[in-house]
Amino acid sequence: MADPSTPRAPFAPWDRRELPGLFDVAESARRVGNYKWIEMRLFETLGGWVATIPELDVKMVLGRHCYHHAWHAELWHKRLPELREMNPDRLTQPANDEIVAFVDALREPEAPELTIEKLVGVYRVLAPRLVAAYTYHLNATSSITDAPTMRSLRFALQDEMDDWREGEMLLQSLIDTAEAVERAARRQAELETLMVRAGGVAGPGSLGITHDEEVAVG
Amino acid sequence: MRKIFPPNELARDERFVRTKIEDRVFDPRNAAMMERDLGSAKLEPSRPAAADRARSLMHGIFVGEIQALEGAGRTCFDFDEDDAPFALKLDMARQCWDESRHVEISVKLGEWMGSEIGEFTESTFLYEAACADDPVLRLCGVNRALEGLAIDVFNAMKEFGDVAGDPVLEFCEDWMLADEVTHVKMGSDWLRRLTEKDPERRNRALEFQRTVDKIFSLGGFRGESDENPVHLARKFRRMAGFDEAEMDDLVEISKQAQADAEAMAAAAAEGGGAYGA
Repeated sequence: MADPSTPRAPFAPWDRRELPGLFDVAESARRVGNYKWIEMRLFETLGGWVATIPELDVKMVLGRHCYHHAWHAELWHKRLPELREMNPDRLTQPANDEIVAFVDALREPEAPELTIEKLVGVYRVLAPRLVAAYTYHLNATSSITDAPTMRSLRFALQDEMDDWREGEMLLQSLIDTAEAVERAARRQAELETLMVRAGGVAGPGSLGITHDEEVAVG
Repeated sequence: MRKIFPPNELARDERFVRTKIEDRVFDPRNAAMMERDLGSAKLEPSRPAAADRARSLMHGIFVGEIQALEGAGRTCFDFDEDDAPFALKLDMARQCWDESRHVEISVKLGEWMGSEIGEFTESTFLYEAACADDPVLRLCGVNRALEGLAIDVFNAMKEFGDVAGDPVLEFCEDWMLADEVTHVKMGSDWLRRLTEKDPERRNRALEFQRTVDKIFSLGGFRGESDENPVHLARKFRRMAGFDEAEMDDLVEISKQAQADAEAMAAAAAEGGGAYGA
């Protein structure tokens, strides 16, 4: 048995985590506040849509996904005070006015024949953007100082990936004519344009690209 | 998407058939049905047509679960955080997932019992209780009254599964019963928290709950006598935050509902009723 008094390296050889990260406390908190805001709007929207959707399988899936996003919002809500924001509501904000416009457009469809439009907004536009923003945060932040945020990001990402796949499969089962293809593509283009104007769910820089580097859209 | 979504627009596929609850409770043929002496009305395998009654009840649970899912979802959407605190909305989202699972369970259990979607009708009275413009009223009407009834129904179905030798039915009802106790407790907790300093609002909410309870008693469907197919599950209701006085009150409400339904059915039968001249 090894002598317990023999000094060991503080980090095991396989532990390659690094101290530096791109975000300071304030920046990580700002992003987390944006995540909470968008996850809240998403779970409210999914909950509201359940009554408007005639397809029983879609109805049940949205009921389940509604809770996933509520749980993500709760994770971010609990993380904010740990990031020196004692009033979580202060940072529970949209990244900018453009993301508000996106959410307004996302939740607009109500009629029972608009299931494709509803699902495209969530699973072909917003969900991929959430995956992208969470992945960027996970890769960019300090893996030692911001580890609690990373843990929550991983939980959220697991749900996002699973839900994204499930939503996409529902869409593929619903899009069965040329006209439906056209509807889905049109809806995606409308919402994607709004999302590009917003710069992502955490605004410009959601993927690390700065304002100057972005291409103007619309 | 609008705030407050009307019950008559609840989206369904073509298998579903909608009826009004009052048409069923006040059906003039009920008077003649009540004259039959079939012994205890409790849901038991020995009762005539017990399997059909269980299937019908299971379908009622199925459509009730869909509406409970829709109601919880609407509460997530219809209110901003000034009216419904963040934590309440999180609870409602959690309930969405629970009700969604209950729909899944109900579909599979219905198939297991030999039924199919649309075999029986759907009335939207459950969702109507989820359309109140005050979240506290919704919590009383849906979580305490409706989910309270669900506790009674699931307990009755669980016992039926046990005595009928159907372990699948007993297993599923037991799981759903556990969730319903959670939902009723949620309603009891939020009622207390949101009306702590507003007794008038609390009274208004409890009055709404009584009204819903009377409708949900379905003219004698739930009570504590031999004439009631479903009995109050006092043990589980206690776990969910009901006190004895409330449960005694509920038994009285159920008796009144039964008397009202009998009188209405008799009057309808005397006058020729909906199917008469």
